[in-house]
Amino acid sequence: MRPFSRILGAAALTAAAFLISGCAPVRVHASLERGMEFTHYASYTWAADENFNTGDPRLDNNEFFQNRLRRDVDVALATYGLEKATLATGELVIHYHANTTQKIDVNELDYQYGYCEDCHSSVYDAGTITLDMVDARTNKLVWRGWSEGTFDGIDSQAITEARVDEAIAKILEQLPPRR
Amino acid sequence: MLRILRLLVLSSSVAISACATMNVSSHVQQGLDFRQFHTWTWGPADALPASDARMDNPFFQDHFQGAVEREMTARGLTQTVSEGDVADLLVHYHANIATSIEPAHGDPTSGACYDENCNVRVFEREVGTIVVDVVDGRTNRLIWRGWAQTPVAGVIEDPGKFQKRIQAAVTQMFQHFPRTI
Repeated sequence: MRPFSRILGAAALTAAAFLISGCAPVRVHASLERGMEFTHYASYTWAADENFNTGDPRLDNNEFFQNRLRRDVDVALATYGLEKATLATGELVIHYHANTTQKIDVNELDYQYGYCEDCHSSVYDAGTITLDMVDARTNKLVWRGWSEGTFDGIDSQAITEARVDEAIAKILEQLPPRR
Repeated sequence: MLRILRLLVLSSSVAISACATMNVSSHVQQGLDFRQFHTWTWGPADALPASDARMDNPFFQDHFQGAVEREMTARGLTQTVSEGDVADLLVHYHANIATSIEPAHGDPTSGACYDENCNVRVFEREVGTIVVDVVDGRTNRLIWRGWAQTPVAGVIEDPGKFQKRIQAAVTQMFQHFPRTI
């Protein structure tokens, strides 16, 4: 009985996680500033630490979150072909920003069309991560990418890291192709 | 039998109220051996998150700091007292209040609804968050962050309840601290 209920519990959890993520998929956007060329940049550096309000005290100045994000970007950009440089020599300076806000998912349409029998509106933490790449010489924004999606699960470090990994991977997929 | 039943009812109600009222968790620097630290002291807070004066007042500080000091002592960590001592760990905290939205679903079967169509109502409530940061004194890096979140209505106005909630928050939070008693 007990193992079965555990399996059932795990299945319910998976289904719930799927439902939650299904309701609030990660959306990514990116834009290259008009008239800007991206391909000639060879190196980047991180902007100095900025204190920013994330809207959730658990994430404000959360170095674990910040380090994960930077690590993910470093790995992705190395693969992409940008070299990490010092503040003095980097051609692009990267700024990032993270923000969370509570959103209500009403499920109204799902209910009308009968997609769900037991339709519930739910509240989830929506998170936005923005990456800005600024030309170090001219101080002009060259490229901006951001992702929006659910950020439920901040209480779990593993889930938070997985959210960051997914967001960063999807944002940086939007970079202009290398020549 | 009756006593067991009573105990069951009591423990389940405690469990329910504990679950319903407090959200506690933590993030930690992975792979770090916390046994290398022996001393600690209160350190300067960073700029964010801003504290709320309704939470972070002398009454709160008194009870909260006392509770943290007990938890640290219980884990064999000594608070440095003299000026000029360099502590292994610096501890700082934030206590803020934010508005949170909660949907309340009616139950059509039992008829426990807010209106005849059994529509969902959304309520706003104020949730207090205490964040405790433990920083490595040598590297100045964050190595552990614990937090506790709980609705504050009816609590912060009542010194007795407030004190109990602060105590419970700190106790539960430090159960996540990677160094056991």
